[in-house]
Formats: sequence, structure tokens, C-alpha cells
Amino acid sequence: MSGFVGWNVIFPKYILADKDYTEVEVTDGGAIIGNVKYMGDLATLSLNLSGNWELPETSTTAPEKLVVSRINNGLKYAVVSITDITKGKKRATPTIHPIIDQQKNTYIPHVVAILAGTTIDILNGDEELHTVHTCSVKNQPFNLGTTYKQRISEKFDSPEIIKLTCDIHKKTYAWIVILDNPYFDTTDKNGYFEICDIPPGTYKLQVWHEELGKLEKEVTIHPKETSNIEFVYSPN
Amino acid sequence: MKPKVLLSRVGLWSATAAASAALLIGIAPMTAKAVNIPTEVTEDGKNTYKKYCSPCHGEEGKGDGPLARSMLPKPRDFTRGAYKFRTTPSGSLPTDDDIYRTISYGVPNSTMIPWDILTDAQRASVIPVLKSFSEAFGVRKPDPSISVGLEIRPSEKTVAEGKKIYEEKLECWKCHGVEGRGDGPSAAEQEDDFGFPIKPFDFTTGKFKGGNSSSDVYLRFTTGLNGTPMPSFAKELTDEQRWCLTHYVLSLIKPEENKEK
Repeated sequence: MSGFVGWNVIFPKYILADKDYTEVEVTDGGAIIGNVKYMGDLATLSLNLSGNWELPETSTTAPEKLVVSRINNGLKYAVVSITDITKGKKRATPTIHPIIDQQKNTYIPHVVAILAGTTIDILNGDEELHTVHTCSVKNQPFNLGTTYKQRISEKFDSPEIIKLTCDIHKKTYAWIVILDNPYFDTTDKNGYFEICDIPPGTYKLQVWHEELGKLEKEVTIHPKETSNIEFVYSPN
Repeated sequence: MKPKVLLSRVGLWSATAAASAALLIGIAPMTAKAVNIPTEVTEDGKNTYKKYCSPCHGEEGKGDGPLARSMLPKPRDFTRGAYKFRTTPSGSLPTDDDIYRTISYGVPNSTMIPWDILTDAQRASVIPVLKSFSEAFGVRKPDPSISVGLEIRPSEKTVAEGKKIYEEKLECWKCHGVEGRGDGPSAAEQEDDFGFPIKPFDFTTGKFKGGNSSSDVYLRFTTGLNGTPMPSFAKELTDEQRWCLTHYVLSLIKPEENKEK
């Protein structure tokens, strides 16, 4: 069933295609720093299901579906982006390709947010066969077998949210979030994010999480000032 | 002994199956010459689709026709542009000739029959209709077809080499089983992109879904099957290794077992 769920998450309309984005030099840009929180019941998450039994390594790897910090309820792997910006800083794709590695049957990192046009290198760090399988529509899907130390370079050109799976190890998956403007960030382990060099104005700021869906807030940027934003996912 | 046995097997199977015999001659140039595939959706194509295809593939190409419920593998959902049998690289859209070939020869071991009851023109007229179901054909273009080079001579050595790849390098047995019966340890949990369970292929039956000739089997390693867990090994194997694996997979066919079926 995971295929179905993933597909429903991919299609909704939050993949906004900003066709008219103009690059300008931003001199008096403001910044947004903020925090994404999940106010759910963490007691269930901290249950030790293995009960100190020695389990095979594959079954002990923690599912990264919902990673919440115990310190401040910060939510890891949420992607924060400005959706309706029409002009701003240069769309620079990184010359050093971001990496998604497969280690101990797990994709590392779990979520990667990139600008459209970026090439991602997908590696295999396990001494066994993995497959890298996507089912995107706008970007060309692929399904490639990889052996130890193989490196696949794939370029993603259209804004889309893509799920990477491995058909041999069904439990593991990763997300590639492709955005069409450079104003985005992925939250760290304490749920913090930071977006800078934004031209002054009012924008829609959106956060996406694979399990919890999306939230939207309006944010006003003042020249050379920092706005502080907090997103809170409630459990219901 | 071994190489002779293999040669006779390859020969036997290509001779017995009429479809594969035609494939050995090479279907692509034939279709390109003989059939003119229309680029626009025609009234004739719509009618043909509605009459012959929609009972299984659904009126809107979602693979949900009234007969689809009783079928496994399920009729293809055309809305994603994922076609299994292509000559193009993994993930790419198929060429028109690829679709024409599948319609004409059907898919063995499934409910897709060879549509030789339709005329060439009718078969060709359906293709633009199928393409119109998916937005992918508007956004992307099919990559150029992979050209299959000259086959290396099947021998005991190539079969042994292929066996090594099957068992050690690519671990094909994890899904397809050590004897190629489609009963590997990961076989039970496989599902396709649409969430339906899918069985790894049983090589011993010898009725390959994408065609029985060695170049067809070779193409499957290179292209993978879109929409299924079968990946492409284009980056993993050299040309020679792929021919070796082809010869090994063809050597797994057990014609004597399947006579009774």
C-alpha cells in the first residue's frame, strides 16, 4: 500500500510552478529564521519496542517517518519554502552534487530539498544489491540496480516531490523535494530552519512534511531584519 | 555438449513460438515501413479503443475496466506513461513502435492477447489514444532507442559467466530464485508502482513477456520494466556481461517441464 499513499502525497497542488521568476541582486534582503514543532504525544514514540532484545541490524534501524526532538519538540526533515516569490536571488545549482547514500539498507539523508536543475548523486554503501526506484511523472522516472560503490547521477528539472524506494528492502525510502526558487530549507534535528536574502515584501511561507502534510503562513519581510516564525503541527 | 544444448534450446524456442520468430527478423524496421502511425487522435482510434481495449484498460485508460478486477497482472494504467516493454532506457517513455509491437504480439503469461484480429491500421490508430491518457507525453519525449549490438556466440563460458552474475554480482536470485522459478526470498513482497502485487518472472516457462529472442531478453536488462520492481542494469553491466546473463537466463528454460502444462 505504501505506493498508493506516496502517490497521493505527491500529486496535490502544492507543487506550485512559478514560471516567471526573475533574478535580481538582493542588497537589502531580510531573513526568516524559525522552528517547526510537532505537539503530538511523544510517549508513544519513545517506547522501546525491541525490549532490549538483540535484533538483526535491519530491524533496529529507526524509521525516520516522524523524527521529533525530545528537547523542544522540533520536527526534523520538514521542508520550508516560499511559494509565491517572483523575483529574488540567483538560482544557483550546487556544483558539488548533493548525495543520497544507502547504508545498512537505509537512505541517508531521508529528505533532500533541491532547486530544479540540480544533479543528485545516489550511492550504494552496502555490499549487496539495491535498486533505486522513482515513479515521478514530470521528471523522468528511473529504476536502476546498483551494486557496492556504484554512483548514479540524476538531474531533476521540474518541481515535484519524488519518493525514492528500494524494491529489495521495502522498508527504506527517501524523499527528493524539487523546488523552483532558491528560497527553501530543510529543518535540522531540532526543527530549526533559516532562509536569507529575501527581497522585502509579503510572501506565503509553506512547510511540507511527509506524514503531517503542509501548513501555510503569511510572512512580511522588512529590509535587513530577521522575522521569526513558528509552525506548529497539532496531532489532530 | 553444453553449448550445443543451449544452441538447440534457443533454436527450438524461437522456432516454436511464432511471435519470437518474427522478432528475430527484427520487427522495428518492418513496422516503420509497413504501418503509418498517426500522430493525432482519430475517430477510428477512439472507436477501436472503446470496443477492444476499454473493457480491461478502462474508458479513461486507468486500467480499471469492468474485466480488470479478475485479472492479475492488472491491465496497464496508461495515465502514468509507464510502459513495461520498450527499447528506450529506464524510465523513458516508449517509442510508437514499442507500443505497436506490444499490441501486435501481446504479452504471454497475461491476459493481453496478440491483437492480430485487428488490421494494422486499427492497431496503429490506438497508439495516439493511449498516449493522450498521460500528461507525461506532453511534458517529456522518449529517449532514443537502445541499439542492440551483435550477439556474442553462446558457449559454456558465457553461460558460466552469466551464472556468476546471476548469483553473485546482481543477486537476481533474490527475486527470481536460484533456479529461476520466480520464488526468491524477496519475491512475495513485491508490488508494482500502482500498489498491486506482482510476481517475479518464472524463467522455466520460457514464455518471456517481452519476447523470446535473445535480443529481447538482452533489452530487458538494459531497459528494465517501467512501473515494476525490475530495474535497469545499464550502469552495472558491460555489453558482454549482458549477453552472458542473457545466455544464462535462456539456459534456465525447461521445455520438458512445460510440455505437460
